Amino acid sequence: MERLIVDADGKVVIPPEVIHKRGLRPGDELTLVETTGGLFVYPNTIDPKTLEWWNSLTEEERKLAQAEAREYESLSEEERDAIWNEYAESLEVEAEGDEIELPTGERSV
Amino acid sequence: MSFQPENVLFDKGVIRRIYEFRVRLAFGLPPTPQQVEASRAFAHLSTFASRMCITQQTANILQRRPARFAAAILNDTQTLNKGRYLRRWARRLRGFAFSPEDAVMIAYGSFGVDVHLQKAGIDAVVTNDLKLAANFHTRYLEIDGRFAEMVQNLSDPHRALKLPRIITVAEVLTGV
Repeated sequence: MERLIVDADGKVVIPPEVIHKRGLRPGDELTLVETTGGLFVYPNTIDPKTLEWWNSLTEEERKLAQAEAREYESLSEEERDAIWNEYAESLEVEAEGDEIELPTGERSV
Repeated sequence: MSFQPENVLFDKGVIRRIYEFRVRLAFGLPPTPQQVEASRAFAHLSTFASRMCITQQTANILQRRPARFAAAILNDTQTLNKGRYLRRWARRLRGFAFSPEDAVMIAYGSFGVDVHLQKAGIDAVVTNDLKLAANFHTRYLEIDGRFAEMVQNLSDPHRALKLPRIITVAEVLTGV
């Protein structure tokens, strides 16, 4: 953890050892994200879609999201796998009843 | 990237990583490289793809997750329905050493139906599963031959169906 001092212009200086360790160069872009836990600086890893989603949340929603995130992060890898393995499709012939007819007269892509 | 698919299907693993990136962001944890890669590929494809799709299984899972994380992903994607013969094709794909889940996903690429647009199939499946992609590319000619053999024996709308391309998130980002 590094302690940074904000100067009168709102600037902070990233310690040289952190610059070196992270491979940062002059001109590199960093993303500053305000979370309920504080300010986080990411080395340009946040894509526009994720940022758009994050910025769409109100302060209250971010607090609720943090609580939901805590719950998810407390799950074991096996428990998370179980969530993402739900609703697996059966390949059996008997399961084919939910398949729908393909549109006619329209060429597929 | 040189190949710019208009219609893409994200495999569940990619969507999971995008979801988990957002969870980690909300919790104040840095994302993993895989989560960054998946999210960047999703954002990049959203700039030119006209349809970004997910399977019914992925949609069902997201609908059960907290809306604060899942709703935006669901809003950015369309859910494909299982078209007739999807499972039959998936069962045949199993013969090429794909897992049941991977076989279903690849089959969605040809037999997945967008009920709103009344269209079947997509241009490319985006995956983070390198083994799946490698197996598909290695055995492509065999798979393509088997697919052609199957659809030729089906009724008219099915004969125009094609195999999707399988691209990895790394390929999306590096333009391969």
